[in-house]
Amino acid sequence: MEAKKDNSGRITDWRSYERVLLPSIKDLHRLDVYEENGGYQALRKVLVSDDWTPAKVTDEVKASGLRGRGGAGFPTGLKWSFMPPVDPEVPRFICCNGDESEPGTFKDRQLLEYNPHSLLEGILLACYAISAGTAFLYIRGEFADWITHIEVELAKLYEKGYAGKNIMGSDFSVEIVIHKGAGAYICGEESSLMNSLEGERAYPRVKPPFPAQKGVWGYPTTINNVETLAAIPTILNKGGDWFASVGAERHPGPVLYGVSGHVNRPGVYEYPTGILITDLIYKVAGGIRNGKKLKAIVPGGSSTPILRADMIEGVRMDAESLKEAGSMMGTAGMLVMDEDTDIVGFLRRITHFYHHESCGQCTPCREGTGWLEDIVSRLERGEGHYRDLDLLTDLCTQMEGRTVCALADAAAWPVRYTVERFRDEFEARCRPSLVPAGISI
Amino acid sequence: MAKVTIDHQTFEFEGSPMVLQFCLDNEVDVPHFCYHPAMSAPANCRQCLIEVGMPDRDRATGHAILDEDGNPVIQFMPKLMTSCTQPAADGMVIRTHRSSDIIRRAQKDNLEFLLINHPLDCPICDQAGNCPLQIQAYKFGPESSRFEFEKSHKPKQIELGPNVMLDGERCINCTRCTRFTDEISESHQLTIIERGVDNYPMTPPGVVFDEPYSMNVIDICPVGALTSRDFRFKARVWEMSSTPSITTTNAKGSNCHYWVQDNLIMKVTPRTNMFVNEYWLADEDRLDYRRFNDNRPSGPTVDGDPVTWDLAYEHARGLLAKCEGAEILFVGSSSACVEDNFLLGRMAASLGADTPVFVEHAVEGAGDNWLVTDDKTPNREGCLRLDMHPLTGESLRSRLSSGEIKVLYVLEEDLITSGLCSAEDLSGVQVIVHDNSISNQLVDLAAVTLPAAMIVETVGTYVSENGYAQKSVPAKAIRAVNRTLMMSIGKSRADMHGTPFDKWHHEENLVNCLPGWVSIPEIARALGQDLSFKGPRQIIEALADSNEAFAGLSYEGMGEIGIQLEEVAATA
Repeated sequence: MEAKKDNSGRITDWRSYERVLLPSIKDLHRLDVYEENGGYQALRKVLVSDDWTPAKVTDEVKASGLRGRGGAGFPTGLKWSFMPPVDPEVPRFICCNGDESEPGTFKDRQLLEYNPHSLLEGILLACYAISAGTAFLYIRGEFADWITHIEVELAKLYEKGYAGKNIMGSDFSVEIVIHKGAGAYICGEESSLMNSLEGERAYPRVKPPFPAQKGVWGYPTTINNVETLAAIPTILNKGGDWFASVGAERHPGPVLYGVSGHVNRPGVYEYPTGILITDLIYKVAGGIRNGKKLKAIVPGGSSTPILRADMIEGVRMDAESLKEAGSMMGTAGMLVMDEDTDIVGFLRRITHFYHHESCGQCTPCREGTGWLEDIVSRLERGEGHYRDLDLLTDLCTQMEGRTVCALADAAAWPVRYTVERFRDEFEARCRPSLVPAGISI
Repeated sequence: MAKVTIDHQTFEFEGSPMVLQFCLDNEVDVPHFCYHPAMSAPANCRQCLIEVGMPDRDRATGHAILDEDGNPVIQFMPKLMTSCTQPAADGMVIRTHRSSDIIRRAQKDNLEFLLINHPLDCPICDQAGNCPLQIQAYKFGPESSRFEFEKSHKPKQIELGPNVMLDGERCINCTRCTRFTDEISESHQLTIIERGVDNYPMTPPGVVFDEPYSMNVIDICPVGALTSRDFRFKARVWEMSSTPSITTTNAKGSNCHYWVQDNLIMKVTPRTNMFVNEYWLADEDRLDYRRFNDNRPSGPTVDGDPVTWDLAYEHARGLLAKCEGAEILFVGSSSACVEDNFLLGRMAASLGADTPVFVEHAVEGAGDNWLVTDDKTPNREGCLRLDMHPLTGESLRSRLSSGEIKVLYVLEEDLITSGLCSAEDLSGVQVIVHDNSISNQLVDLAAVTLPAAMIVETVGTYVSENGYAQKSVPAKAIRAVNRTLMMSIGKSRADMHGTPFDKWHHEENLVNCLPGWVSIPEIARALGQDLSFKGPRQIIEALADSNEAFAGLSYEGMGEIGIQLEEVAATA
């Protein structure tokens, strides 16, 4: 079935959309099946044809409008072009960030399980585009089964000459190294990931210098998310123009929506960007379970600002529309909460996560995350004060933008916006004021 | 030249210095904890925040946009920047806490965060009174805290190594200590363990923090998390006076502060001198202070009996006058200052004796090409430049056994403990010794002892292994009243209050000793020679005039940071 196009020729209809990142093909995770279904054709095309210079691959990715799927949404082609000119004396690296650990986000896991070869092919293509000789695939250690599986598939790649020296008979060589994380959220921060890879304590680095200038072991490095790299073969197979025509104009492409929470059919769904949030909840994920009403959603992983049910009408899952609505696209891992959800308890759990995961390098984050949890826990127990709500907002201001990496922001935003958008529920949990109403003090 | 504006004041600069260091160099006090000029800047304390602006430029033409008054429009960065990692650029406009409410608020916020899990145990903390966190909390911090929860608990009283004690709860995670072991001493013996608010520095499993420079982390720790096992709980910082001086444990001439309470040396800390030891001091330099307090002689003796100084001089004169110059062996000392050795040489010459010799105290392989040298004395180079030669045990013993030596005149050395001769070898010889410790075995058999002041009590010049001349000033008083020492002690300390009523002045702990440049001229005078100088300053002037190796040297030239002898000689 041909995907329907809207009046401006864009593929936005999710019902007729044909999946490319996670197609429904049995055993696609195996090299032979992946190849039968057109796998490694993009790599072959690029390596065999003289037309496809590295710069042309980068241009194709730029033309696709692909924005990073790791949360920040930075244009991928532009990021690649930050790499300095090739110097044969200086090694260049690619890191694939598979340290997926933001609460509510589980899309990379799906790719690693069902379509790992699209990632490996994407890594090889990216290495070609930026002339990197080594790729580090950094996967969180908890994904043990898929790490084992990818190791098996990677060995097959080496055996077939799709990785290692002189790939497919060309003079292009890439070593792919799998590195397991040891269970820290902070390792998903790109500079932290590099420190972890080097065997150092995973403290984020001060930027500048950026990874393209000074990355792994001080050499030029590009770091991309799993889903970002897995989209590269599709871009080269179907063309950057096709990719750019899928979904929202300024945030195009197919994207993996991870829907979790109080819906009837939680899971990972591949659709064009810009799907209506209401469609995603009520049609794709089957609506709220037990016939309850929607209370709130968190659109893109736990750090993105929460949206009340009355704020999502007509809002689409793309960077621009969500920004307008007062939130962010993040990783597109949507948390759905029904009317029975205790929002104070929800926030307490979120603050606990960031307290637990703060690396402790910068003062505001190290001290602030714990303080936030202390206050929200007290509110949850019903022992909080009205002044605590203003203090929470104050502490968020003291943390935001004042640290080396963005973990402090990620910890502060949910608190700021949850308190702001559900202030009545927080006030209802506070101890009653000792001063009777109507008396001016 | 490139210009940067800091709080409405314009400075010129070269290169691209980091704003924090540039501010500190120009006496703009920007609060900070983790930054140390000798180490990398991790920007983790977040205290040195500043607002940074650059002139707005027209994208098309590249020209600066001007407002109606013709001044450039300044575009400030949306985020506050850490000045320790922000390079200065031409035209940059910087606002610190001196001109920006936003920065004042940010610094107050940050100090509130730093203090929520910091135990406020200043009354029992060694660092109190000299604590960057305490000082900056008073200067820039909030009046009170809004934190109403239990503070985080971490291990306390951890012995990291033989010299350093850790209190994990006081730690503010600046990582200065781990960066010191990674970047400066390269021992890699410390690392941060745990995560988040539970972080603290620790040795890796099975490792003891015993590197020879471990105690530097105590000085650079901006709180009381790392304290000296030797010094902790001994004295409060305000009960001591500190005196800038140099250490005498080896021939490096490392600069230090001697901390004195009740006329006793309590601890030794480094003093910054970029020409010698930069910011650091070896542990052996710090732990070698007890000899200044313990086993000190109680006054001059003749044949073991206490006597007055005048009687001791008279007795020494009698011994020296009885024999020919060739029958006297003068032994100088590489532990004594240039002045004392110079006077000893003058006295030897006037008596017709040979130039004094000195004893070497080198430990092969002890040096590390940094702040520890093979040579364990501070002034060997000075002795060599005074044309003194090392004395070997062999030559000493043969000259003693042949009976050619009748009188042995020794400055500070202990020939027996040093292994140059035995007590029996000295049986036929009259020994005169300027001793600084009763553990000196010559004291037991000496005819005359004339206790000598040590570096912490005297004014003197010492020449390091590399020919770098530095002078000491007295850190504590001696029993005798000496105008030069009294003047010097008053000027030498930071508090500038050198009176007998001061806290470092304690009758009981005053040692009855004299600098060599006081006692040697007294003996010379008794012998009818004139060796008197107004003071050590004049001795050095006379030396500079008479010895090319010291040409141009003066107390003013040395100042507090010393001077390279070759350099002054070249300009003299």
